[in-house]
Amino acid sequence: MFSMADDGYRWVEHTAELELEVHGRTEEAVFAQALRAFAELVGDRTAREAVTREIALAGAERAVLLAHWLDELEFLAETEDLVPDAIERLELVPAGLRATVRCHRGHPRSVVKGVTYHRLAFERDGDGYRATVILDV
Amino acid sequence: MSDGAAHHEAGCAAHHEAGCAARHEAGCAARHVAGFIPVDDVTWELPPDAHREMRVPARVFADRELISQIATDRSLEQLRNVAMLPGITGAALAMPDIHQGYGFPVGGVAATAVPDGVISPGGVGYDINCGVRLLALPLTAAELGTRTGALMDEVARRVPVGTGHGGSLQLNAAGLDRVLTGGPAVLLAAHGIGTEADVANTESAGRLAGADPAAVSERARQRGAGQLGTLGSGNHFLEVQRISRIFDPAAAEAFGLRSDQVTVLIHSGSRGLGHQVCTDYVRRHDAAQHRHRITLPDRQLACAPLSSPEGQGYLAAMAAAANFAWANRAVLAHRVREAIRRVLGAEIAAATRQVYDVAHNIAKLEEHAGRRVCVHRKGATRAFPAGSDEIPAGYRDVGQPVFIPGSMGTSSFVLAGRPGAMERSFGTTCHGAGRRMSRTGARREVTGAQLRRRLEEQGIAVRCPSDRGLAEEAPFAYKDVERVVAVVEAAGLAGRVAQLLPLGVLKG
Repeated sequence: MFSMADDGYRWVEHTAELELEVHGRTEEAVFAQALRAFAELVGDRTAREAVTREIALAGAERAVLLAHWLDELEFLAETEDLVPDAIERLELVPAGLRATVRCHRGHPRSVVKGVTYHRLAFERDGDGYRATVILDV
Repeated sequence: MSDGAAHHEAGCAAHHEAGCAARHEAGCAARHVAGFIPVDDVTWELPPDAHREMRVPARVFADRELISQIATDRSLEQLRNVAMLPGITGAALAMPDIHQGYGFPVGGVAATAVPDGVISPGGVGYDINCGVRLLALPLTAAELGTRTGALMDEVARRVPVGTGHGGSLQLNAAGLDRVLTGGPAVLLAAHGIGTEADVANTESAGRLAGADPAAVSERARQRGAGQLGTLGSGNHFLEVQRISRIFDPAAAEAFGLRSDQVTVLIHSGSRGLGHQVCTDYVRRHDAAQHRHRITLPDRQLACAPLSSPEGQGYLAAMAAAANFAWANRAVLAHRVREAIRRVLGAEIAAATRQVYDVAHNIAKLEEHAGRRVCVHRKGATRAFPAGSDEIPAGYRDVGQPVFIPGSMGTSSFVLAGRPGAMERSFGTTCHGAGRRMSRTGARREVTGAQLRRRLEEQGIAVRCPSDRGLAEEAPFAYKDVERVVAVVEAAGLAGRVAQLLPLGVLKG
């Protein structure tokens, strides 16, 4: 499990959509924080049936991989009513990622229409990493 | 200063050097906004020499107040970027409800030449064929009386909101294929949903040609399964209204609208199926940029030549998603009629007619000024004038109906397309009030509970399970819809027919 002590995310002002800025000490932490932000967004904290899902995504570019990661979480929410709680395992490799995500079944709000490539970024920031992604809602 | 603002300053300076003074003589510096020059009282233009990559001018329909609001976010920078698309013709256009989006601005219009211009999935958006359908009931608000709350309760029981699924019409794979190909006409034939008049009174009769279910991914099908007949969340809504004012009696009569009549406005789209189609094809087009030798200022503008396999694939999948969206609104209208039958009686339900259904996120192949073009409308509505054979026969003498939802608690408008739309905007007008405040900003100003109370004090019955979602759609988060409509009327794009005031609203 990743420590969240010095990692975080924030929602940046955007006229119509949602702009998410994530920072982490490691690349893995950025993906973990993005999951936390998504869980806050879909807004269901009711503790129900716990399940895990294996996620495997291809993509050499970290920014695109982050977009695909959020898209996968929305897919699980929409098709299986799953709200992500935490990453149990995350392996980032040059060609993509493999992860085990712990979720609970609930009533997630279906708010994310798409994870856009507009101003999509994932870059070094001091000793860590910073990413920006804009969600169509 | 944002990058966009920085560009505006730079563009302004370059523009002055490039001949602004010659065109407008003294006073130009005081009159332009973010590099856009006033062409007339409701038109602003950024000339193509403002940036070396622009292929056509960027043009905005707005008055001075609106252009000043528009210039506060990245909208104009995004419109300038659209003017750089390969094959774009005429101008990159924006309606007065333009606001910052992603890639294309919301409220943007771009026509690209067929067959060598490009098509851009981002120029349609994730919610393919998001649109608006208006139903007219055969009774007045006075006759409805105190039954609005009961009607809203019944509608809320029958129309799933907020979550990703819950539609009561389940289709197998073959049934879904038929809907993707044929739209609402298939639902009428196979399930008795809607009427022949409903189908006829739908833009493109609810069926875009060229739809190919095979171009829609399995993932999109999974997202769409169970979502037919669901409203969604965000700015999607269903509103019971009354007609408060008639502006154009002849057009109102043609549309079957009269003073104090009760109407129902339905705003929804292609749900997860359409969202996934956009996601799939943005990725494909992004991956093919190098092969097509396309360089873009914004990755979300990813595009492909209309004649390419990627372009043809997107056109086929988008058409399928558009047909799904029209079918979705047909099921929603069916559920509304069921609620009307239960609360107001079978005769009222049977005589509830569909005025029209318009798309406002779509790309269509059309003829304009003798040229075949692909018109991208993202947050913009087709507005063909009287005489067009694309309009149902009953409306052909007055122009195509257009519906402009206002923000929650404010007016909505019925418009009719005007000849100026063909001359100035590829047959297009605005689609709504247009946001001017972020969702977080709206939530800072008001809580959902406060807003619910204020609306109910105005006599509006609110049904919304999410306080957060309600607050994000607060009326003050939007531009003044009356000003937006006044601009498109002054520009000759569409004319006001009727004004609608809310009696009850259902939101996701």
